[in-house]
Amino acid sequence: MLTAFRGYYILNIMLDIGIGISSGKNAATAAEEISRQAKANKPTNSKADLALLFTSPEFSSANFLKTINNMLGGIPIVGLTGPAVICNQGIFKHGAVLMLISLPEGALFSSACVKDIKAKPGLDSGEEIGDKLLYGFRNITRSLGLLFFDRLVEDGPSIISGLQDHLGRSFPCWGIFPSDHFHPIRTSLYFNQSIVTDGCAGIILGGKISCGVGTKHGWKPLGKPHTVSAAAANIIKTIDGQPAVKLYEEYLACDLNRLKKEIKTLSVSYPIGVFAPGETEYILRSVHNVADDGSLICQGHIPEGSTIRLMISTKETCLKATYEAVAEAVNAASNPMVKFSKTKTSQLAIAFSSFSRYNLLRKDANRELEIIRESLAPNTPIIGMYSCCQLAPLMALGYRGQSYLHNQTISVLLLEG
Amino acid sequence: MISYINSENLFNLLGLMSLISAIALFFVLLLKSHNINQLQESVNNLKRSLDEMDEQAKLVVRTDIELNKTQEELDKKLTGLYTLQRLSRTISSTFDEEQIFQKIDIADLEEIGFEKALAFLWEDKERKFSLRLNIGYTEDSCAGIKSQVDANKHTYWESVRNEKTLSSISMLLENQEKERIKALFKTNSFVISPILPKEGSRGFLFVGSDKNPLITIGDEELITIMSNQLGQALENARLFEKTWHAHQELENRVEERTRELSRALEEVKIVSKRKSDFVSSVSHELRTPLTSIKGYASILLAGKLGAVPEEVHKRLEKINKHSDELVQFVNDLLDISRIESGKASMKLVPQGLKVILEEISDMLSVLLKEKEITFSSELAADLPEVLIDKDQIKRVFINLINNAIKYTPKGKILVRVVKLDGQVQVDVSDTGCGIPENALDKIFEEFYRVDSSLNQDVKGTGLGLALVKNIIEAHKGKIWVKSTVGEGSTFSFTLPNAF
Repeated sequence: MLTAFRGYYILNIMLDIGIGISSGKNAATAAEEISRQAKANKPTNSKADLALLFTSPEFSSANFLKTINNMLGGIPIVGLTGPAVICNQGIFKHGAVLMLISLPEGALFSSACVKDIKAKPGLDSGEEIGDKLLYGFRNITRSLGLLFFDRLVEDGPSIISGLQDHLGRSFPCWGIFPSDHFHPIRTSLYFNQSIVTDGCAGIILGGKISCGVGTKHGWKPLGKPHTVSAAAANIIKTIDGQPAVKLYEEYLACDLNRLKKEIKTLSVSYPIGVFAPGETEYILRSVHNVADDGSLICQGHIPEGSTIRLMISTKETCLKATYEAVAEAVNAASNPMVKFSKTKTSQLAIAFSSFSRYNLLRKDANRELEIIRESLAPNTPIIGMYSCCQLAPLMALGYRGQSYLHNQTISVLLLEG
Repeated sequence: MISYINSENLFNLLGLMSLISAIALFFVLLLKSHNINQLQESVNNLKRSLDEMDEQAKLVVRTDIELNKTQEELDKKLTGLYTLQRLSRTISSTFDEEQIFQKIDIADLEEIGFEKALAFLWEDKERKFSLRLNIGYTEDSCAGIKSQVDANKHTYWESVRNEKTLSSISMLLENQEKERIKALFKTNSFVISPILPKEGSRGFLFVGSDKNPLITIGDEELITIMSNQLGQALENARLFEKTWHAHQELENRVEERTRELSRALEEVKIVSKRKSDFVSSVSHELRTPLTSIKGYASILLAGKLGAVPEEVHKRLEKINKHSDELVQFVNDLLDISRIESGKASMKLVPQGLKVILEEISDMLSVLLKEKEITFSSELAADLPEVLIDKDQIKRVFINLINNAIKYTPKGKILVRVVKLDGQVQVDVSDTGCGIPENALDKIFEEFYRVDSSLNQDVKGTGLGLALVKNIIEAHKGKIWVKSTVGEGSTFSFTLPNAF
């Protein structure tokens, strides 16, 4: 169902960004604070074309969104709630960040939202949002699709597939699933004047704007490869013909009872890496639960017949991956296939990192943000969100390949124009 | 023959070649088989190496788990300690009991691995717990929990009374109470720790987590420290409140006393004003008939109404002299009254004291000579001019030196003038009979006269020193006296510099 659609041609010379941040407890005050700050922090007085709103779940209320809408004068708002928000000033488990974006001349975007995605086949939902996003975008170079889900849905891959049926198989989709059904906090989407659950909101960017994506995790394969001998969606039933839990029992020397209790914590350190042909990185899958029959219930699908490895990391390899992800995004954004502007450009960065990384890095979690800040041009506006799953192509955006669902990964999007 | 040989040879040649080929094939097969065996052995070696590496990987993972666990505990403790230190600083920054609990933030709680917290304090009067902190619960579920806590208050009060921390890790696995607490507070893991201030109501702090089912003894210790700090902060707040109340009570008393004194002072002022008005009025009323008496006495003395007998003349002279004294007395009374009421305006001009002293010395020279008193003055060399009403200050000198003459049967009078910071000090010293110590405080009061045998012979109204004091104070100066009975007295006063 279409809740809103906007398509705009932009008249600014270059990207013009303003960010507002509040860690206050009162939602109404925070709404005013972030709107006022974001407007004040924009270098020019040009009207913002789009607002990205990321908050912790307690801010999600009609009044909060209404106040922002009133203060911004009805510009399109797309965003979501999640376990922690990221911005230049820091990481806030309780906070709200608003980014006002005035896109450069010749850049184009459209935004759309679908609701009630559980009630219909995933392919249909994907096609529906693809159709809405493409409206007004025919015959225009499109660069990237941003997709926000309110939580991980069973039909996620089908929705992406349906979307790519419309936008193109190799069209890069980049997005976020802030939580899953194991997560105790209910997350939601912001779309213009609505708070949406059981939905998907999207933005398609195109025209004269460069996008660069870098996606890395920092986990390395350990031990010998194994084959998923039986799987269904996100459940691995058997590995090498044995109950899937044997993998963890053997490597971690833990019995089934302990694994049932601790698998969620243990798989943060030792996730499963799925070999993806043609890619250099393994795709990570966190295990959330162990079924009584020894099946492993994962965050995201694992195809039957996949070659998998147990993965291991250290804080250092995790942080090194952050460096690499930002470097890859910077490289892709600064060396686009088509150079749109020969004059001075500006940048903005959006970072989606896994909340598992936050938990793993613990007191060093801020280092991840510091690395992003250090690796980008000074004063580059940064916003982001910690999440349960990330949707991103594995290689830099120059390579137009498949977008994967990731766990425990950091993905950085750099827009330049 | 040739063809036979040729075909036979050919046959033999072919046979030989076949034989050679068969032998070669045998050797090739033998070689291949060897290679295959070697390859198989390599594969087996590789497989064995891979298995060995896999076993090593398992060891690595197991070691890594142990290291991670230790590191995690250490990180958790460090984070917890940092958070506790910050919390301790924050909650100690207020002495308001309500504010103490409001200072605890959900972010702080999450830092130490919990996302729910409730704090209850026992209210003696109402015989139930009052809720002081709620993090992570809706108002409805909070009210539900509170009613259950009140219903089972003995269980929780027992924990407070025994000063014992309860937690999902320290309570036995099958403990029903543990399961009941988990169900009531809707949590997977919890710590309940008593809040124990030395004075006032006690209570308990509950923290819980759904995300962190595996709390440790370290978590329990952290929460115990946190509840101890809350107890300490409550104790400080209560002590502060107690001290503040005592201070407030004292301030109220001081204020009340001040108000009473102010009222008394106002009454004194009113009485004093009435007295001044009365004195002024009486003095004026006295002056008119006195003038007549003095006038008639003068006429009679001058013989304008005829010669008067010697005896009458003597009496008339006495009338005249006493009339003069009475006029002087009335004038002094009027002056005091005027100065006190502020009606007397001082004509302040810069003036040197040397001139005044010379004039007074001349004026009193006869009297001094009569009583064989040596008068001297010592003025500092660089004395500044003072801002004074010359006539009034002259009266001060006359009064003080006259008094010195009166109470010095024989001896010396010395006037010393010294320079101070922004003012000059004048000391009038005599070698007279001195003033008893108990009279020193009262000597400047109106109508006060020292009760001594000498005083009975010396005439006086008791107004002179009161007038002097009023004049000096009207000049923003101070006057005081030091005296030793039998040795003499020194009257000192200050006057402001002119510049």
